[in-house]
Amino acid sequence: MRSLPGDLPMLIQNQIISGQLAFPILECFHIAGFALSIGMTALVDFRLLGLGLRDETPAEIAGTSLWWMLGGLLVAIFSGFLIFSTDPDMYYLNWIFDAKMVCLVLAIVFNYTIHRKVLAPGASPAARRGVAATSLALWLAVVFGGIFIAILQ
Amino acid sequence: MLLSLAIWVQNLEFFTYLRSSGETFPAILALHLCAISLFGAMIVATDLRLLGWAFRKSSIAAVVDQLRIPKRVGFLLAATCGFLLFCSKAEDYYYNPFFRVKISLLILVAVHALIFRGSVYNKPAELDGPSGAPVRAKIAAGISLCLWVCILCAGRAIGYVQSQPGEIRHFN
Repeated sequence: MRSLPGDLPMLIQNQIISGQLAFPILECFHIAGFALSIGMTALVDFRLLGLGLRDETPAEIAGTSLWWMLGGLLVAIFSGFLIFSTDPDMYYLNWIFDAKMVCLVLAIVFNYTIHRKVLAPGASPAARRGVAATSLALWLAVVFGGIFIAILQ
Repeated sequence: MLLSLAIWVQNLEFFTYLRSSGETFPAILALHLCAISLFGAMIVATDLRLLGWAFRKSSIAAVVDQLRIPKRVGFLLAATCGFLLFCSKAEDYYYNPFFRVKISLLILVAVHALIFRGSVYNKPAELDGPSGAPVRAKIAAGISLCLWVCILCAGRAIGYVQSQPGEIRHFN
């Protein structure tokens, strides 16, 4: 069980806490960012499962969606850092936040390694389906983690 | 009339359970967000293709046609979760100004469909012109993007206001 290292000196005032609208606006950016990034990855995953856009190969869909995905992910991570900065003690003590971060790192690493490999034309259909399902499960676990951080508060 | 309906709905046994159980309400909220993530991007993808900004290797007709059914499934999922969330706290939502904004925006989505479905989305064969989609299709795509972004923000804002008759309380 973690504990906090006692009172730390307050070095700067976090303007996000004092501004009434800053936090909700950050959350809107966070949601829009992760919805875009997860959805763009899901388009590739659905294609790997044989659903959705069928005129392009998975690699062609990824060629476009990768950039939108990266953009959404950067917005979500940046807004996420700012949201974290408003109450770091709470997140530090919250085990669901840890689980969310583990899933997030796994999802990102998976996306740029194994997920990329099965986009090649020679990959077996079974491997493609397995990778698509794993990718979807990891990303959705991150979303669940985000919501459930609040119930431990 | 609407208010008494809202109170009746939230006092049904099932929705009383949803409201009072610690994990069920957030689980449905998480499912709501999952459905938005998985299928909201399909709306974005369709709109981006109409605007000529993404997926240019596919014809516009193919993107519009192939994402139509998955988009409907996704909307149904998100809407079902949203309906369950609403029913379990119907009285709060009834008074919530951002809930009213969100429902109004969803009605505008229906109006958007009434206006553009016949002339854009149901005529995919006419969408692939030499210089991309016709102007009316690009306008439809732009309006659709704006509406859905506003719906997302209104949806998030609902959680910040809890209002009862005569008082609006902000909490964070």
